[in-house]
Parts: sequence; structure tokens; C-alpha cells
Amino acid sequence: MRGHLSSVKGGEPDWGGQLGSERSGVRMDEDVLTTLKILIIGESGVGKSSLLLRFTDDTFDPELAATIGVDFKVKTISVDGNKAKLAIWDTAGQERFRTLTPSYYRGAQGVILVYDVTRRDTFVKLDNWLNELETYCTRNDIVNMLVGNKIDKENREVDRNEGLKFARKHSMLFIEASAKTCDGVQCAFEELVEKIIQTPGLWESENQNKGVKLTHREEGPGGGACGGYCSML
Amino acid sequence: MAADSEPESEVFEITDFTTASEWERFISKVEEVLNDWKLIGNSLGKPLEKGIFTSGTWEEKSDEISFADFKFSVTHHYLVQDSTDKEGKDEVLEDVIPQSMQDLLCMNNDFPPRAHCLVRWYGLREFVVIAPAANHDAVLSESKCNLLLSSVSIALGNTGCQVPLFVQIHHKWRRMYVGECQGHGVRTDFEMVHLRKVPNQYTHLSGLLDIFKSKIGCPLTPLPPVSIAIRFTYVLQDWQQYFWPQQPPDIDALVGGEVGGLEFGKLPFGACEDPISELHLATTWPHLTEGIIVDNDVYSDLDPIQAPHWSVRVRKAENPQCLLGDFVTEFFKICRRKESTDEILGRSTFEEEGREIADITHALSKLTEPAPVPIHKLSVSNMVHSAKKKIRKHRGVEESPLNNDVLNTILLVLSNTFLVLDDIDITHALSKLTEPAPVPVHKLPVSNMVHSAKKKIRKHRGVEESPLNNDVLNTILLFLFPDAASEKPLDGSSSTDNNNPVSESEGYNLYNQFKSAPSDSLTYKLALCLCMINFYHGGLKGVAHLWQEFVLEMRFRWENNFLIPGLASGPPDLRCCLLHQKLQMLNCCIERKKARDEGRKTNTSDMYPGDAGRAGDQLGPDNLKDMDKEKGDVGKSWDSWSDSEEEFFECLSDTEELKGNGQESSKKGGPKEMTSLKPEGRLYQHGKLTLLHNGEPLYIPVTQEPAPMTEDLLEEQSEVLAKLGTSAEGAHLRARMQSACLLSDMESFKAANPGCFLEDFVRWYSPRDYIEEEVIDEKGNMVLKGELSARMKIPSNMWVEAWETAKPIPARRQRRLFDDTREAEKVLHYLAVQKPADLARHLLPCVIHAAVLKVKEEENLENISSVKKIIKQIITHSSKVLHFPNPEDKKLEEIIHQITNVEAIIARARSLKAKFGTEKCEQEEEKEDLERFVSCLLEQPEVLVVGAGRGHAGRIIHKLFVNAHRAAAMAPPEEELKRMGSPEERRQNSVSDFPPPAGRELILRTTVPRPAPYSRALPQRMYSVLTKEDFRLAGAFSSDTSFF
Repeated sequence: MRGHLSSVKGGEPDWGGQLGSERSGVRMDEDVLTTLKILIIGESGVGKSSLLLRFTDDTFDPELAATIGVDFKVKTISVDGNKAKLAIWDTAGQERFRTLTPSYYRGAQGVILVYDVTRRDTFVKLDNWLNELETYCTRNDIVNMLVGNKIDKENREVDRNEGLKFARKHSMLFIEASAKTCDGVQCAFEELVEKIIQTPGLWESENQNKGVKLTHREEGPGGGACGGYCSML
Repeated sequence: MAADSEPESEVFEITDFTTASEWERFISKVEEVLNDWKLIGNSLGKPLEKGIFTSGTWEEKSDEISFADFKFSVTHHYLVQDSTDKEGKDEVLEDVIPQSMQDLLCMNNDFPPRAHCLVRWYGLREFVVIAPAANHDAVLSESKCNLLLSSVSIALGNTGCQVPLFVQIHHKWRRMYVGECQGHGVRTDFEMVHLRKVPNQYTHLSGLLDIFKSKIGCPLTPLPPVSIAIRFTYVLQDWQQYFWPQQPPDIDALVGGEVGGLEFGKLPFGACEDPISELHLATTWPHLTEGIIVDNDVYSDLDPIQAPHWSVRVRKAENPQCLLGDFVTEFFKICRRKESTDEILGRSTFEEEGREIADITHALSKLTEPAPVPIHKLSVSNMVHSAKKKIRKHRGVEESPLNNDVLNTILLVLSNTFLVLDDIDITHALSKLTEPAPVPVHKLPVSNMVHSAKKKIRKHRGVEESPLNNDVLNTILLFLFPDAASEKPLDGSSSTDNNNPVSESEGYNLYNQFKSAPSDSLTYKLALCLCMINFYHGGLKGVAHLWQEFVLEMRFRWENNFLIPGLASGPPDLRCCLLHQKLQMLNCCIERKKARDEGRKTNTSDMYPGDAGRAGDQLGPDNLKDMDKEKGDVGKSWDSWSDSEEEFFECLSDTEELKGNGQESSKKGGPKEMTSLKPEGRLYQHGKLTLLHNGEPLYIPVTQEPAPMTEDLLEEQSEVLAKLGTSAEGAHLRARMQSACLLSDMESFKAANPGCFLEDFVRWYSPRDYIEEEVIDEKGNMVLKGELSARMKIPSNMWVEAWETAKPIPARRQRRLFDDTREAEKVLHYLAVQKPADLARHLLPCVIHAAVLKVKEEENLENISSVKKIIKQIITHSSKVLHFPNPEDKKLEEIIHQITNVEAIIARARSLKAKFGTEKCEQEEEKEDLERFVSCLLEQPEVLVVGAGRGHAGRIIHKLFVNAHRAAAMAPPEEELKRMGSPEERRQNSVSDFPPPAGRELILRTTVPRPAPYSRALPQRMYSVLTKEDFRLAGAFSSDTSFF
């Protein structure tokens, strides 16, 4: 199942297994390293909400109502022993809702862009979504992941290689998944989170950024006012 | 313990480590420190490379010890060296003299450009200094000095430390050190002479050689030759025929009404004074031998032109006054002010208040009087509008009865209540308003009053103590609102046209990183204007005044449907600063209100009766009666009328209808009945789609635009949504909260397509949820059969639910999804309560953005690579800092400081280029060399002049000195005489056309046996520096201690 995931953003994908999600439901509030905002976007009916439901509740509901506006779920996972709380915003894919949702792009650190491998039109529209992202995202170092959903279905229309190619072109993470059979879902979220944590400056929130050090220093002890350092005159 | 090992012995041998006296304790502490720092023993490093003192890293370690209650600090200074080299030679070599003694003779690092004075004097790579800890403390008496020196000597002897140990004596500013270095059987004493005046006999090399030799007291004859290194330093302060070109901008020109050198919207740049104060030329003879050269009281061979090495350094003016830096710094200072706008403008005149309040009530009752119609069912804003008209009329003829000061204070209070009022049931508020006059003041909204107040304030201010000059104010307002100049500001296009031509340029998107605002936006311009006002026109008061004017202008535009120029249309850009978003929000409100008002205007002409009737149906009969009356009287102006109607509509009737009529119609309203309705609010036909049940074309309806949001609103909303939690109920509630838009669209759709089904709607709204399949019907034909997707068919899912509640109402008659009146008032209130400090914080990113652009622009002219790098760093640093809400002051200060530094660097580069005349240089190659030389001067502490006095740069420098010297020679004759009076100067002048050197440094070195002819030959060194008012000899004399 892990083989589905390819990191195109650079570096070797590391399947060391140090990632492990916290499914057992131990108390998660303590020592949470950071809270990450993650956004799920894509055309209507590609299975955004199903992917999220699979990830957070590990269930699949074939009769999941179409999302209205945005929905919201929380899950804590641990990456390299660091716990990260994910606030995941699931958006409606309908054209009309699109005027409403971009405001939720603000401050997101990771974006999951979903298409349906059995419907080519959802793949073709990806460019529009990327434009949207570019326009509305407030930070430029955001981590993007492309997910081709519904690989359990027979009538595939989009080849895995096409998805790979698209992801490479736009420097995204890529994975194919199925919310129904659970393939690749966990892995997708974990990989995204790991990437975010590896991206410096992306997850440091306001209270943590106090440690940011200034690399540039002016001249050092200058001229006359120093303790003993001086020129002849 | 000793007793334990030898129990039978009666004599106890006791080793006493107790320290009895303060002195002993002090010595043992020094030893302890030396041990702690592992400075024990001799370990030789590699020979010093040339220039390593400047290029290498110096570090220091400190500790504090005390002698009785007198505190000393002990500091170890050392050049960082590769540790591997050290370790290799760790074994202590008995007969090798200590490293420091060897370094005394090393000639690779004479005259380092910048170093600790002990390094400069003795050429040491490592030493320890004991100095009084407090800055003002000093060891003055000779006995104390000797005591310290003895302590040092004992400590060195006890520990075997071979690092030289110094004691600082006398006042710190004199930089007097004495010290000692001990090795196996050898010792070096570091001694010093420091005088105010140079004794006549020692002003030259031969005199100094005499001291050196007599000090060594060498028993050998002939004496081994002394090697000599000399450096003369010349200082140029008088930059002849070169005047610093930058004048501070002429403020008077601005105040006088003519906007001269400085335009609003441009930032000033450059240093007000020459940022290069001095040029130091060092002419060096690195290696002379005694006897080769003559330098005595009558003659000198030391002609600087002939010196083999020339190096130059520039002295930068410390913190030169730089316009841009000052500008931004002053603006930043506003952030720390606590006063509110009103406090600053001093408008709370309490003594007048009593009388004025009476006036106000009187005025208000008067205002309501002339209207024959009772204001019963008028909304708040409507009433305000008509009141406003009256005030305006009055204003032309006579003085308004309201004193502005009082009025404004009240209005501020009012604006708070208004918001509250907005929230409670409006009918309640209305009924309050209908109470007979005098209307209680506190129920009035702010709008109209402010506007009239504004006019008054302007008049008022123009004459007296207004912080802002009228001309200046008008210039700024025209600059900010260029549309005001044309007669028809109504033209909305001005704002959208602003989708700028510059947007392609590289720096344009910087606002994205800085979270400021586009450089052609109103917000950005406002920031620059406030910056300028703060600096030149009245400081904080001026800022408060302009802000007040700005807020009034905003209100004026809102009330009169004039779009705000200089803002990109569309919803607030979340990448910009909050203030910019707020202004964009206000513009959205104005746009909607304007569209509504205009729509109504056209409607009155052709659709009046129908609409009125419909509206009437929805209102109670009482309301209708009153409304009709009002329409007759007041309704002449639709402008003012519109607001109230709108508010009625959505707040009263619509909600009622939703509960009452709505359900009714949905009960009996089957598709058939609906079909009979006239379609309304169609936008255009949707391709070839037709309604499923009757084959009529499917129309896309006119829909309501979703509500624009600023980031603070958004934050609030997403917090609310997030708070609902992740449970199923929470999700359901969340969807419900957000379904207003869906419902509105459904209603519009139903109105545009009478008799439609949910399937029709879904085909437009979410086409993928309508699944079509080709099936073969009974007759064998291929038929396209479609149905809703499974998820849409879930019983009572929210889509179905919403569809069932939706009634066919076109968008324009729906309840507004976005209450522009309310949002606009919220924005205006927000603007009004911003203190100057808040404002400065809002706009600081814009100012920093502008400053960075300015610095970039100026750098482009000079092309200084180091500056390019720094600017890049500033940008990354700023975008990190400015991205978070409420960045720390310290970080902001740092950014401003960096910008100021860059400005100073550019100013210095300009100054140097002008001084060295790089532009005048004709030969391309020479020009390049000169430019490189100039840029090195900026970046390095000291720059070698290629070719010394004979090179191109050398000739220019020579000329600079000659010119300065000649100009000085033109000084009044008596001064001239005095100048020539000293034999010293006469001697110099005979040699060259250079002025006398400002400082002379000589290093004399030799290796001789001391104290006896049969002692080991050891390094001896004496450094001397002679300046006009400083004479220092620093000697290091080594002697063999084996038999002495």
C-alpha cells in the first residue's frame, strides 16, 4: 500500500516506518508540537469528504451527503515522535461554492488536491484548482499533495503515470488512494504532515517563531566605543 | 590524613593550602582561572600567516575575581586557530621560548587594520588581561600597580602558564598595561610609557632608536642590527572643491502650497551630511634596517610618495542622518503613542460642554420640526439622511449651531451605541425614534453629523491652530482621491481602472510577502502621506488630523455612493494588511448599495406600481399606509429613501413571509401551480439544457454574490464553525449555517425557472450529481435517462431539505445575504476608533515595503553587490516578521535599522564615487579598477592601494591631499607662521607636499642576549606611536632568568 505514494517534491521517499498514526485514542492533547491547517479541495464528487472520513474515523460511508460550504475535522497524529494536531478543512467542490471557500485557504500549511481516477474531467480541471490555490494562498511555501481517488473502481480513466507527471510538473506529492478500500489514505496524510514539518518556517506558529534567528549581523563592534578594539588613531 | 598514614609518628606534617591574606587569596584565584582555562604549559602554534589578525576570528573568555572587595575581570583574548595543529605539538619543549615571545618578532601582522591594542603593540596572538571590572574603577597608586604586577608574576610562576598576563593600570581611557610573560628560564616584561606630548628628542626615528638601545642595555658591541617597520598615517578631513550635494528637502516650499522637491507618495532618500567623514592614508615601510634610512631632527628620507605600501581606510560618519531611515523611524515611533485621535486634537473642551449640549438638543428638535410627516416608520438611516440634507442647506446660510468639538466627541460615543442598536430588534429602535421630539441624542447614528462636522472642521482649522495647513491637506486629499478633482466622481470606473500598469514589475508583488498593500493602492499612498505628514507637517497631530479627514471622506463616499479609488475591485485581498481589506470591504458595500440604489431608480420608472404593491402585500396594512404617505413626501429622493426600504424589507417582512407565506406556498405549491408564475430574475439560458418536466429552456438565475470577508471576520467565522466540533450534529449544524447561500440560489433558480425540479437545479449547480445513462426503452430506442446521484437521493439530506423550503423569489427581492449597511457601518466604526498608534501599526508594513522599494531603486543606480545581498536578506527577514500578527517591536526596529544601514551604505558609495571621480575617469580599465577600489573601501576595513603612490588611485589620493594642504596654506598669514613655526613641520614640508602625518607608528625589533653577554639571545621589541597629543612607547624586553 505504501508503494502508491511517490514524493515528487524532492528527496527520496522515506518509508522508514517512523510514522505512526495515533489510532489507539490515547490522550492526545498533551505535548502537541504544533497545529497544522490542512485543506482538501477538488471537483465535486471526487471523494474529498470520504477520504477525510476514512482518515479520521476509518470508516467509509457510500451515502455521504454532498458537502455544503466547508466542513471541519480534527485529528492528532505523531510524526517522528512529535505529535501534530491536524485541523482539516474539507470544502465543497461545486462551482458556486468556490466563491465562498477561498477564504479558507488562508493560513493553510498543506493542501490535498483530489481527483477521481474514473472521471477524466476531474483531472482536467486540476489546473483551475492550482490557479485558485496560487491566487488565494497566503503563504508561498505551502505543501501540495495530489491524490487520485477511487482506484478500487474498474472503469479507470486516468492513468497513474499521468497523475505522476502532473505532480512532478507542479512540485507536489503524489499518491493514488481509495477511501473505500483504505488504500493509501493514511499514508497520504502522514506524508503530507511530515513534509510540512520538514519545511522550515511553515509550521512554526506565532508563539514558536521567537526562536527565529537573524542571520545577518551588522559590522560587529564598530569604531571607537569598543573595549580595547581600536585602530591606531 | 597525614596522621592516618603514619599513625605511630608523633610529628605531624601539615601541608597548608589555606590562604591567609587577601593578596594570597587573589593570587590563588588568578591561578585557578588560568588552570580552568587550561593556559598552562607551552604549546606552539604554527607561525602567523600574513593578515591572519584581520582575517581570523578573535574570541574572548571572561571571568570575575576580586581582591578584597575590589572586583577585577580577567579576560582571555585569543586568535582562533585550528586545534589540530596545536595538539600535534602538545609535548612541552623545555628549551623553546614561549610562543608569545616568538611572536614579538613576527613581521607578518604589523599594523593590523583593526585589533585589540595589545595585539597592535606587541603582535600577540593570545593574552590575558586583568582589569578593574567597573568601568570607572582604576588602579592608580604605584604601590597597587606593583602589587598587581607581583601577583601576576607569582601566579605565572606557580602555574607555569606561558601566556602573557597583563594588568590594566591607570584610567581605562589611557589604555595603560603592564605585564609579564614567563617561560623556562626566560621572562619578558611588558612596559609602557604614555605621555600627552611628544618629547622633542623622540619625534624621529633616531631618537626612538636611542631609547630602544638604552633600554635593552645590551652588553654586546657592536649591537646586532635593529629591524624597523614604519607607518605614517595621513588624515584627510577637508574635501576641497567637493561639497556634499544632498540638501534636506525644502519644507517651506511645501508649506507655501507649492509642492516642490518632495512629492507626496515619494520617499526621500540619502544622507543629509557627508557619510564619509575622513580618509586615512597609511604609508608603510614594512622592513627597514637601521642605517639604511635617515630620519632625524633635521632631515628625513621618509617621503610618503616613495613608501612601498599604501593603504587607505575611510572613516564613516557615525549614524549619519539619513532621510529615509529617519522617516521610517519617526513613523514607527507613532506605534508607541497611546493617545486617541481626539486626545491629540484636543477636542474635549469640557468647559463649553454644558452650553453646547443644550444647543444640540435644541438643534435636533429644530431639525425634526419642519418635516410635516411624523418620522414614525422611518428607519434610522433614512432619518439621518433627511436630516443631513437640512444641515447642508443650513450650512450655506448660517453657522451650524453645533460646535464641532462637542459634536465629535458625542459622535464617537454614539458610534458605539449604534452598533449595539443595530443588533437589537430594529422595530424596537424604530419605535423609540417615533417618540416625539426632541429625539434623544443617543439614538442617532453618526453618519450625517460627521459629514457636516467635517465641513465645519475644515473651515475651522484653516484659520487657526489646525495641525495641517489647508494647502497641504488639499494636496494630499487630491493625491489620495484623484477622482475628487474631476466633476463626476460618481463614475465608478475610476476605481476599477486602477488595475494597474505596473503590476508586471518585479517588486510589485512584494506586498504579498510583506502583507502590506499594492504600491499603487490607496492604502499604500495613505501610508506614505502619513509618513510625510508625521515628518514635516505637524507630527502626531498632523497624522491624527489627516486620519480624521480620511475617515470622514470614507463616510462621505459611503453615504453618497462614491466608490473609493485606488482599490482593486472584488472581495478583500487577504494577502494585504487588514486596513486595506477593510477599505476594500467598504468599497464592496458601496458598490452593492450603489447598484441597489441605481436598480431601484430604474425600477421606479417602469415597475413602480407592481413593486409597491408587492411590497405592500408583505407589510402590514398599517405600515403600508404610512409608507405611502412617506413616499409621497420624502420619497422624492430615492437616494435617501432606498436604505430604509431595504432595511424594512429584510428585517421585517421577509422573515415574516418565510414563516407564514412560505410554508403555505410550499404546501399547495406543486409544480403545476408554479408554472403559472411569471419567471423572474433570469440571467441567461444555460446552454441547451431544458427543464425535465416541460422542456422549457433552463435559465441560470441572477444570484446574490456571496458576502465578502476581511480576515478578522473570517477568523471569527471559522472559529465559530470549528467550535461546532467534529460530531455529526456539529457537521450538520455547520452545513446548515452555510446553507444560506445554497437556499438563496435555489430560490433564485425557482423564480427563474417556474415549475422546476431539484434535478434541474442539480444539473446546473452540481452537474456530476446528475447521472445520465443510455438505456433502451420498450420501443428499442436509445434514450438518455438521468437521475440524481445516490448521495442526492439520501432522504432528507440538506440539499433536498433546502429545496423543499426554497420559494421562488428572485435574488433582488431576497433577504440580503450580505448586509452592506451593517458591514459598512462596522468598517466605518472600526476606522473611526483607530488611534494613530493603531494606524501606524496597520500601515507600517506598507511603509517598510515602500522603503525597501526605494532602497532597491537607489541601489540599482549604484550597483553595489553587497547591498543587493543585504536587501535580499531584509526582504526575507521582513516577510518572516510581518507575516505574523503583532510582530515584536524589537524585530521591527531591527528591520528599520537594516534599511537605514543600507541607505547609509549607498550614500557612502555615492560620496566616495564623487570624491574619487569615478565618473570622470576616461579610460575604461582604469575606471573599472577605481570602481573596484571604491567598493572595497566600503566593505573592507583597510584597502591596499595598488601601485602605492604611483598607481592611478594613489595619484588621485595624492591630489586630494595636495589640494587640501594648499587650501590650508591659504589660511591667514599669522596662522601660517605659527604652523610653520615648529621645526617638526618644517622638516616634513621639505620632504613632500603632503601635510604632516597625523600619526606615526614605528616598530623596532631585535634579538639580543640580556642581561649578560652570555645569556640567551631573546626577542626585544618596542612599538611607538606619535600623534599630535599622544605619545606611547610599548616595550617588550626579554631576559634570561636562568642565573639571575
